[in-house]
Amino acid sequence: MALIYELTPAIVFLPLASFALALFFGRWMPKKGAVAGILATAGALGLSVVTLGWLLLSGEVHDQTWYTLVDAEMGVDLAFGILIDQLSAAMLVIVSLIAFLVHVFSLGYMNDEGEPGLPRYYAGLGLFTASMLAFVMADNLFMAFVFFELVGLCSYLLIGHWFTEDAPPSAAKKAFLVTRFGDYFFLVGVVGVLVTFGTAGFAGSEGFPALAESALAGETSVNTFGLSTEGWFSVLGLLVLGGVLGKSAQFPFHTWLPDAMEGPTPVSALIHAATMVAAGVYLVARMYGFYALLPTVLGIIAFVGGFTALFAATMAVVKNEIKQVLAYSTISQYGYMMLALGAGGYVAAFFHLTTHAIFKALLFLGAGSVIIAMHHEEDMWEMGGLKSEMRTTYLTFLAGSLALAGIFPFSGFWSKDEVLFETLVHALGGSPLLFGAYAMGITAVFLTGFYTIRMVMLTFHGDPRSETAEDPHSVGWNVKFPLSVLGVLAVVAGALNPVPIEMLTGAEVDFLHDYLYATPEALLTGAEHYSSLSSYGSGAIAGGEIGTMLVNAGLSFGLAVAGAGLAFGLYRGGSPARHTERLGRVQTLLMHNYYQDEYQVWLAEGFTVRLAAAADTFDQGVIDGTVNAVSSVSRSAGARIRQIQSGVVTNYAALVVLSLLALLVVFAILGGWF
Amino acid sequence: MVLETVPAEYYLVLSAAVFCIGLFGILTRRNALVFLMSVELLLNAANVNLVAFAFYWGNVTGQTFALFVIALAAAEVAVGIGIVLVVHRNFDDVDVTNATTLKW
Repeated sequence: MALIYELTPAIVFLPLASFALALFFGRWMPKKGAVAGILATAGALGLSVVTLGWLLLSGEVHDQTWYTLVDAEMGVDLAFGILIDQLSAAMLVIVSLIAFLVHVFSLGYMNDEGEPGLPRYYAGLGLFTASMLAFVMADNLFMAFVFFELVGLCSYLLIGHWFTEDAPPSAAKKAFLVTRFGDYFFLVGVVGVLVTFGTAGFAGSEGFPALAESALAGETSVNTFGLSTEGWFSVLGLLVLGGVLGKSAQFPFHTWLPDAMEGPTPVSALIHAATMVAAGVYLVARMYGFYALLPTVLGIIAFVGGFTALFAATMAVVKNEIKQVLAYSTISQYGYMMLALGAGGYVAAFFHLTTHAIFKALLFLGAGSVIIAMHHEEDMWEMGGLKSEMRTTYLTFLAGSLALAGIFPFSGFWSKDEVLFETLVHALGGSPLLFGAYAMGITAVFLTGFYTIRMVMLTFHGDPRSETAEDPHSVGWNVKFPLSVLGVLAVVAGALNPVPIEMLTGAEVDFLHDYLYATPEALLTGAEHYSSLSSYGSGAIAGGEIGTMLVNAGLSFGLAVAGAGLAFGLYRGGSPARHTERLGRVQTLLMHNYYQDEYQVWLAEGFTVRLAAAADTFDQGVIDGTVNAVSSVSRSAGARIRQIQSGVVTNYAALVVLSLLALLVVFAILGGWF
Repeated sequence: MVLETVPAEYYLVLSAAVFCIGLFGILTRRNALVFLMSVELLLNAANVNLVAFAFYWGNVTGQTFALFVIALAAAEVAVGIGIVLVVHRNFDDVDVTNATTLKW
């Protein structure tokens, strides 16, 4: 075993150590624990990069159990272990990179602004990073669930960082409860997987995806609780998907995410780019060997993803706060990833996850920089004209925005194009239902272009619309450095996998594709294995694969440019008008998020509370009533009978004598003495 | 032999009579001292029985038991008198029906 794999646990333990240090000694540490966090995440980043490098050079993967809670001989196998394959190694680099940059940025956003509770903040960041990294390298579903929950807990702690105000604690509770609602299904799913297969391992022929495959092929049999094998596996897949939808903020569990904007902006960057929200999509990718067996579940994933992409994009169009626009764009972009996974585009999904992590972290940190400059004013209508004052922020934010909008040649274009391309090809290959998901995805491209450029125009262009915007606060190196790193990456990350270029020129440039296909066959977690499982066929229009690619790329690029151009046309000039108000009642509907919150509150208050009240009545009345009746009978009987305890010895003696006489009489009658 | 003229039934009747007198005392009298005396009568009724049967069977075990009972009765009286004294101190007389404050 390579030395580097002896060190992989340190990737988790370094941020964990910074968590403990910041929590207990943060008050006396330099920068209240920020330095420890930066060093720890830098160390984790370094180790992750070395791990990735070693994997690239040697192709040697790593799957080892570290601690066994319950041995497999007991019927279920509960263990903690590390699985480093192509997918997790790449994800480790992404997570630790974003975490490192967020820690650096926090120096500017939290320390320099003199925010309270910094040790608590850095402890939260450290634990957040550690749990996500442990989740990424988890080698079984049980361990993944444990750290999935820890990630949720950390998001709760960090979103509610400013707990003395009204909104953040409420938003934190909402995030916790909504994701917990999904996680409830996930928990049932984990138990179901353990009961069905006896193991929750992801990889190898002993892992549950491999067992499911052989069960579906009829080679082995498992307990399916009376359902057909595929039906039961679909139920399991959907149960786990509940947790995914909650964490990745997919419809209808997306409502927590916009509220989570109440947390500090660096936390939003971390949540949206690398940790919390990415966890859901990553989980589907992690156990894709299981999902690829289930065409029905894949179809559901694709539809939910496509719908969420469009649904969230429409709401982003009318929002006035910069972070709200970004929040809805996150929901929408994760919808694309789910669409890709559901449509059989495993590589495309991970590609989009990568590029999105970069440009969304960039956009949030850029928004954070703007918020510092604006003295914590987030309304875009109070901004304007910031581009001349904040050169670095403007340029990097623009790069991120163009990537988000999917404009050639920025990174988002390549990944989003590939997501849509995979969907289209598989739709043409005999899965006409995917056309619906594709249509929603492609429509969302236009809206994405529109709201992204609207945000840029309102924030940075035109005349300053408030006094703070005329004279913004300056930002330091610790803000500009992360922005610059991410800005460069947002421009060039598309080079990871520019499939269209390969198709047109024949050059071998689809690096990510080859990388994910290089997973050793024995692990059964590689893209090659997944494509052999897929039931999707491939089809083409306009004269073959290249024609299809050109049609799709042209369509998505054209729509993105059209949306961007429309926003540019509408919002340019010194003082743009509030054009979305012309939407009238549609605008009201969108501003209220389709009344999603209202109906969920109604569900909680009108349904759940009543159900709970009825259950309470039953509990108090029937169950407790029975117990109380029994005890009150005993009590009243005791109260009566104790009257004979008069305290006078004579009475007792009389009772003894009378009883003796009565016994004698009974014996006499029964014994036949008379 | 004198004993041959007194059959065992006589002892039993005597014993039953003494026992009934003692029982009557316990059931009807309120004076604690009389109570103690009645208990003595009960015990001694049993003693008469023990000795009579021991003699009837030609076995000394019953007589030994009677000695034990006498010793026990002496001890019981010592404790009983002590209790009677305390009752008198607390209730100013030796009426057993007054001492009922430890009940529910």
